[in-house]
Amino acid sequence: MTDTNDDVDLVLRTMARTIVDNAEEFAQLDAVAGDGDFGFSLRNGFEVVGTDLDSFDHTSVGALLKKVGFVIAGKVGGVSGPIWGTAFMRAAAAAGERTSLTGPELIEVLRASITGISQRGQAELGDKTLLDALVPAVDSLEASIAEGFDDGGVAAVQKAADVAVSAAEATLGMLAKRGRAAYTGERSRASVDAGATAIGVILQDISAAWRDSRQGAGQ
Amino acid sequence: MKKFVNDPRQFVPEMLTGIQLASGGALDYDPRYNLIYRADAPNDNKVSIIQGSGSGHEPAHTMIVGKGMLDGACPGDVFAGPPVEFVYETSKLLYSPKGILHLVNNYTGDRTAWEMAKEMCEADGMKVGALLVDDDVAVKDSTWTVGRRGVAGNFFVIKATGAASENGAELEELVRIGEKVIASVRSMGIALTSCTPPERGTPLFEIGDDEMEVGIGIHGEPGRERVKLASADEIVDILLDAVVGDLPYSSGDEVALMINGLGGTPISEQYLLYGIAHRKLADQGISVFRSYVGEYCTSLDMAGASLTLLKVDDELKELLLAPAEVSNRIF
Repeated sequence: MTDTNDDVDLVLRTMARTIVDNAEEFAQLDAVAGDGDFGFSLRNGFEVVGTDLDSFDHTSVGALLKKVGFVIAGKVGGVSGPIWGTAFMRAAAAAGERTSLTGPELIEVLRASITGISQRGQAELGDKTLLDALVPAVDSLEASIAEGFDDGGVAAVQKAADVAVSAAEATLGMLAKRGRAAYTGERSRASVDAGATAIGVILQDISAAWRDSRQGAGQ
Repeated sequence: MKKFVNDPRQFVPEMLTGIQLASGGALDYDPRYNLIYRADAPNDNKVSIIQGSGSGHEPAHTMIVGKGMLDGACPGDVFAGPPVEFVYETSKLLYSPKGILHLVNNYTGDRTAWEMAKEMCEADGMKVGALLVDDDVAVKDSTWTVGRRGVAGNFFVIKATGAASENGAELEELVRIGEKVIASVRSMGIALTSCTPPERGTPLFEIGDDEMEVGIGIHGEPGRERVKLASADEIVDILLDAVVGDLPYSSGDEVALMINGLGGTPISEQYLLYGIAHRKLADQGISVFRSYVGEYCTSLDMAGASLTLLKVDDELKELLLAPAEVSNRIF
């Protein structure tokens, strides 16, 4: 389903661009209940990923993702660096020496990321974090892959992205249990979670890029 | 609050420069990672031991780098744990073929950064051990932590593992010794005043002239309760009851007893507290094997003190008595 040099690069490049373009907006979402640095912190790491991606080790999916994880952990301050860095490092460990991933292997890699995020942030589903958008999206993708598809996964990725956006919107009203937002207690219910929202926006952009790559558009 | 300072943002680098220059060549300083390290580190024949929490707790940890103690310390800013990059790069610079030991104080930010860095080191094939220090009995969770805080008892973890490492002990052995110290050490502090971070310039919290904060943390985070100022005897009773009550000591036990000044309390008052604590322990049949009086883990300029007890056995006694050198000397 994915090939290191094309698809993984496509996803990473799209992610980096989305995070850089939306830094201000993500930071504003975070400022409502958190400390307002989320968008800018994340940008510090993904700017480097976007700029230097070609020079990263591409010998395997694992090597590439490990490098991305190291850059993010090293450049992103606060707790976002360790959390997003761990996501990529655990994905790297799961992908290992493979140079491409089948659908089920991709799900295995994403699940490893989720476990890493959960451990590093000591957060579970329902704590009002990025997991609340990421987990339903991966569940959706897994179901689509199990059903099978003949469009290169275009509809499956779009469906996962839509699930993520709905799930992110559903964090409105939830009580924050992790991160700075947790200190605001009941007031945290009044806003959506910045991390979950970011996942929704990122996946929508990845879906668009995926569709273009599979339909030969935008070249 | 008046301080000796130039640009408050340069407070930490300028302090570290002073430590390095005063060391007579024993220590090196790498400004990229706030890193103070032994000039002879890494040593292939010993496991490297590093630590780094917030600055503002000096002499912990940058001033206790030396033979038989830490190989390096990479603090963050005042009261802020080091970024992941500091820990990872320090680990790489000071890595020994025998491995590296991470000493981490139990604060959420510190833990997140150190755990992340450990994972990165391991992905690079390094052998890393980690110990989590949580000796403060005052509160289970504070503003800064999940679980108990790591405070002055940290000194004993460094002293014991540092001595064992100097003797050539393997990484697994150091982890075992460190865990034994952590299981046997308890601390609690009382503050008479707040503290003033250099960049902030004003005290972190208000406290009345006739009040004290019982169970204070080392960042000005609150403790058990705010009460009326008591006599030194009564204060020692409060501290001993909390500490002795948490780790059941019994008549016949031997301990290391530490009275640690929090940064703004004169040494005379620290010795006064020590004398009272020593006597009260003797009344309970607990004898002091070795005494520690002075500043080991401070909170900038806070007036206050903490009491730490370490229950010792033959192995720990030997490690406490082993020679050590730090550049923070008086002779």
